[in-house]
Amino acid sequence: MEQEKKLTEQESLHLITMMINKAKESYHDTGIGAIMWGAVIAICSLVRLSEVHFKYRLPFDIYLLTLVAIIPQILISIKEKRERKVKSYDDTYLDYIWLGFGICIFLLIYISNNIFGEWGSWANEYKNITGKSAPFRFSEYVAPLFLMLYGLPTFITGAACKFKPMLWGGIFCWICCIVAIYTSVKIDLLLTAASAILAWLVPGVIMEKEYRMYKKEQAQLNV
Amino acid sequence: MFKDLDPILHSQLRLAVMSLLISVKEAEFTFLKEKANATAGNLSVQIQKLKEAGYIDVIKQFKDNYPQTICKITSTGIKAFEEYVKNLQAYLQK
Repeated sequence: MEQEKKLTEQESLHLITMMINKAKESYHDTGIGAIMWGAVIAICSLVRLSEVHFKYRLPFDIYLLTLVAIIPQILISIKEKRERKVKSYDDTYLDYIWLGFGICIFLLIYISNNIFGEWGSWANEYKNITGKSAPFRFSEYVAPLFLMLYGLPTFITGAACKFKPMLWGGIFCWICCIVAIYTSVKIDLLLTAASAILAWLVPGVIMEKEYRMYKKEQAQLNV
Repeated sequence: MFKDLDPILHSQLRLAVMSLLISVKEAEFTFLKEKANATAGNLSVQIQKLKEAGYIDVIKQFKDNYPQTICKITSTGIKAFEEYVKNLQAYLQK
């Protein structure tokens, strides 16, 4: 670009539009985080489903895998931030939304475990007195609560980044949330796995493919 | 009555830099160089002029033992850019 070139009004407007568009197109998520979380949640749900269906128990809670996945997530975030040459306003908001989502998930786990603790003793008491099993099973309603939460940051990210696979993934989570209210625990787990695959794993794979293409284009431009 | 266009902004490279920075929170020097298709020397001079006008903030730091320059538009810069676009639109509607 030439130094101090005087512009006509039309040229100025064209330049502004061109640069704003260039800035918008400049950020591409690597998709690694989305792939990892989609895979982790899908694996956890499917393993738990097999535990319920085939009536066995692993020596550890499979959902502990989500805690282990936090370590690579932190490393991925640090690496992505270091490699990023530009920081948009959307990035900052979305980082806070996903952080808030993570906090909400752990709060929901804590609340659910407390309710399970209380409810278990009530259900046993009910069974001892009436001889019947409790008419309300809290476990049937846990998955819809999680699916409702899964949908929120996914939908916002999809809308903010104009990335339709994630937008539809978020909507899919909410559809599964409604369906899961009326289905058994086994189906709930299947819906959770499907949501994780469609909301995170598939969009993550698409993002990763786009990122690789962008990097290739950039490398060709710089040759 | 048309106002004169801001001479600081009415220059190709400075306008390109400001248009890039208005769209993002902050950007590295290398990003601006690549997107504006400018040489490092030319870009440094224009960035210095924008900084002197108070339109951008320039943060110099080290990243992995390499110097890194980060540019950020200031509130004065945002006002000047908005005013520039408003005046530009007025000229075009003439």
